[in-house]
Amino acid sequence: MTGADTCGSEHCITCGDDGVPMQVLRIDRVRGLALCEDENGTRATVEIALIEAVEPRDMLLVHAGTALTRLETPA
Amino acid sequence: MKFVDEFRDAELGRAVAMEILSLVESGRHYKLMEVCGGHTHSIYKYGIDDLLPANVELVHGPGCPVCVIPMGRVDDGIAVAHTDGVIFTCFGDMMRVPGSDGSLLDAKAAGADIRMVYSPLDALRIARQNPEREVVFFAIGFETTAPSTALTLKRARAEHLKNFSVMCSHVTIVPPLKALLESPDLRLDGFIGPGHVSTVVGARPFHFIPADYGKPVVIAGFEPLDILQAIEMILRQLEGGRCEVENQYKRVVPYEGNLRALEVMAEVFELRPHFEWRGLGFISHSGLKLSDAYADLDAEVRFSVPGVRVADPKACQCGEVLKGVIKPWECKVFGTACTPERPIGTCMVSSEGACAAYYNFGRFAREREVV
Repeated sequence: MTGADTCGSEHCITCGDDGVPMQVLRIDRVRGLALCEDENGTRATVEIALIEAVEPRDMLLVHAGTALTRLETPA
Repeated sequence: MKFVDEFRDAELGRAVAMEILSLVESGRHYKLMEVCGGHTHSIYKYGIDDLLPANVELVHGPGCPVCVIPMGRVDDGIAVAHTDGVIFTCFGDMMRVPGSDGSLLDAKAAGADIRMVYSPLDALRIARQNPEREVVFFAIGFETTAPSTALTLKRARAEHLKNFSVMCSHVTIVPPLKALLESPDLRLDGFIGPGHVSTVVGARPFHFIPADYGKPVVIAGFEPLDILQAIEMILRQLEGGRCEVENQYKRVVPYEGNLRALEVMAEVFELRPHFEWRGLGFISHSGLKLSDAYADLDAEVRFSVPGVRVADPKACQCGEVLKGVIKPWECKVFGTACTPERPIGTCMVSSEGACAAYYNFGRFAREREVV
């Protein structure tokens, strides 16, 4: 997605069935949210209710602001 | 980057392409459907079809949620967006989808307060920040996106937010696949299964395809090597006379899917008896609405929604493209009256739509050697 009001030439969130690998930086366990960062350094607040026992440094696959699955954590 | 770079290795890609070449039977035509719009985008972006023998044809499926939204549904959204006091939020994907009298972007230009969000959580934040306004989120997408909407509704309920509601146009993946498999004008040899939908639903829902229709399915990731390997796995099944669901995308897709996501979806949504798909018509039990327990957060209950069915423009052949009956460039208006800048049909709107993907990346497709 671009920051513009319309789709750019890259993936759209829903039509692309987009999944972005993001690393967990901080966790707010009370609110069930995590601050995550993608490969470009872009940070986002991510809903983590669907993933069990998320920890900092975990890699998550994020779609539309929600983590759908945990990816293998880098060594 | 890990999970990405290793799946874009050109040398490995050529090696898999050679494997594919060795598996195809001379004189036989293979028609494989990639279900997901993300796969369509990758196929064109990386020129994957140029690596395939000419008798392996990729057919683009209905897996772009924007592309399957009918015009009447866009009109409904615009009607709600024009309601006094409403802030209408949606993913950017939806903004340019044409309704019968313009798009949401046109409605925004005409004064409606329509805002693009990246996540339903953003819509919820707008609702918190604007307690005097009604904030509506236009929810689209397959099972990949539906859990995000469901969790947002649960948050809205927990926070007792009274000014937030959802106009639900979520759809499910299995019914349109059944409709396609029943279609007499489409003969397919196998399916490249949707990767991220499967992180939620798992592999089990696709077993009816080999069991009832005798076609192989390989759930695949979105990098070029993922797609090439999935094609190779399908061809290997066909060569060996096998027919099953295989998972090429095991690094992301667990066999059972995400049970928490399925639970939250079951709590918040229920199936609509029918839902209209562009080009495919009404399909039973293919769309989601909010369950009775969440009816107070349903924008279609809270606001007056016209709900008028609008026929697609006659010149537009999105239906045939979505069913894989014609290729994008075979549509009468492709690249002339219908372009990504001024789309007539929804397949030209999203960059994952077959027409836009082909327009952007594949207009100069080369003739391929026939095996």
